Amino acid sequence: MAEWVEIVKGLKGVVLDICGVLYDSGEGGGVPIPGSIEAVKRIKSSGLKLRFCTNETQATREKFVCKLQRLGFDISIDEVFAPAPAVCRILNDRGLRPHLLVHDDVIPEFDGIEKSSPNCVVLGDAADNFSYRNLNEAFNVLISLENPVLFALGRGRYYKETDGLKLDVGVYMKALEYACDIEAEVVGKPAKMFFMSALADMGIEPQQAIMIGDDLVNDVGGAQQCGMKALQVRTGKYRPTDELHPTVKADLYVNNLAEAVDNILRALGK
Amino acid sequence: MAGRRALKAVLVDLSGTLHVEDSAINGAQEALQRLRSSSLDVRFVTNTTKECKRTLFERLKKMEFGISEDEIFTSLSAARSLVEQKQLRPLLLVEDSALEDFEGIDTSDPNAVVIGLAPEHFNYQTMNRAFRLILDGAPLIAIHKARYYKRKDGLALGPGPFVTGLEYATDCTATVVGKPEKTFFLEALRGIGCAPEEAIMIGDDARDDVGGAQAAGMQGILVKTGKYRQGDEGKINPGPYVTCENFPQAVDHILENLS
Repeated sequence: MAEWVEIVKGLKGVVLDICGVLYDSGEGGGVPIPGSIEAVKRIKSSGLKLRFCTNETQATREKFVCKLQRLGFDISIDEVFAPAPAVCRILNDRGLRPHLLVHDDVIPEFDGIEKSSPNCVVLGDAADNFSYRNLNEAFNVLISLENPVLFALGRGRYYKETDGLKLDVGVYMKALEYACDIEAEVVGKPAKMFFMSALADMGIEPQQAIMIGDDLVNDVGGAQQCGMKALQVRTGKYRPTDELHPTVKADLYVNNLAEAVDNILRALGK
Repeated sequence: MAGRRALKAVLVDLSGTLHVEDSAINGAQEALQRLRSSSLDVRFVTNTTKECKRTLFERLKKMEFGISEDEIFTSLSAARSLVEQKQLRPLLLVEDSALEDFEGIDTSDPNAVVIGLAPEHFNYQTMNRAFRLILDGAPLIAIHKARYYKRKDGLALGPGPFVTGLEYATDCTATVVGKPEKTFFLEALRGIGCAPEEAIMIGDDARDDVGGAQAAGMQGILVKTGKYRQGDEGKINPGPYVTCENFPQAVDHILENLS
């Protein structure tokens, strides 16, 4: 219990990853992880602030939130931070016209963005769209630019769907980086700016916040780099070897979100 | 050249150096003849992994290059020997046309991944299958790690990006058997019985042909055909021994200065 008292010291807000923490994605929309629906409700009624930071780019934020609501989660669009809206702001600010290699279902997020004669590539978790032909097209856009700019919506290695582990956007980011000898700009976790925008929205400092995620490097490592505390849940893409990682160590490892929330609220005396 | 022994052998890259797809580089056949009429040994070393040795040979014959099949040393042959040596059952991500070079290898219930240039296998499903095998401990063997290659319709991704992606996904390092690996060049020279200091490599890939050969102790000539892009000679350190417009000029340089 002592470690939990330490964890919740000064705690004002919680940042949750979604996929692998709230639910496992897959055919038919996926399934909630037992206890997670209740856990989200309990955080909200405790008075702690709550935001969701996801690297989900297989759907628009609106559709994604609707799906989670249908699964039974108490969640609204303005509580969710996702890479696609974030990269759209960057594209606008820098006057960039993207070539998109993303999932079909996230394309509407880019409706208002000029895409003719592209001068950068935006790479999302395109899943089945990660074909040789599509990657080649993105590669040719990059290699023909004098200063190739590649945005990766996250840099995850893999994630878990109901039928097994699947390659994530980071793998294809690395592929294009290698092909073009460039370094991508990551929008989404583990980029510091991404976590900071969620904290700013809650009006709290990093030391007052805790991140809970299933991805050791991107959720836990990324949040800790910002000065937040971070827990890893043993659900989703978690693998036991994560706990032996040479450089990234979670403040605590917990079996699932429900157990994390139980302990946090108990330590806070709520 | 102080410290360098007399030149005995020339290793020549195929795709991009002697030809692009089915068209020979202008004057390349005649230049090869001139090279052959010198006392130098010539071998052809290639990372062109989508085709088996026999197909490569037949294509070169059709373009009227005077080459025999046993002078060709490919990264597929190197991969096969590694698989046999370690008694692995590979998932073969190579084009169907390359499968001939793996005839007789057990591929049931795979416990290894061999990856070459195989556009039709670089889809999401197959990449996921390879990924899961590697995550479960299967070794990843890359026939080579070229970034891209030249097709008639422009540049296209090589196997390197896909190998790099799988390495990142699984936190493993692939065993690379083709160029620019030192062992590949040494293996190719072994048949001739000459030391790396007595050999020179001609190719269109600054890193994989020239950089690799030079790291193995040979000299390297970069030709500005095939996948060559302006400024490539500056991408390796030390730079190429010399950069030539094309294969015929490289041959001229060798005959005039080195033999």
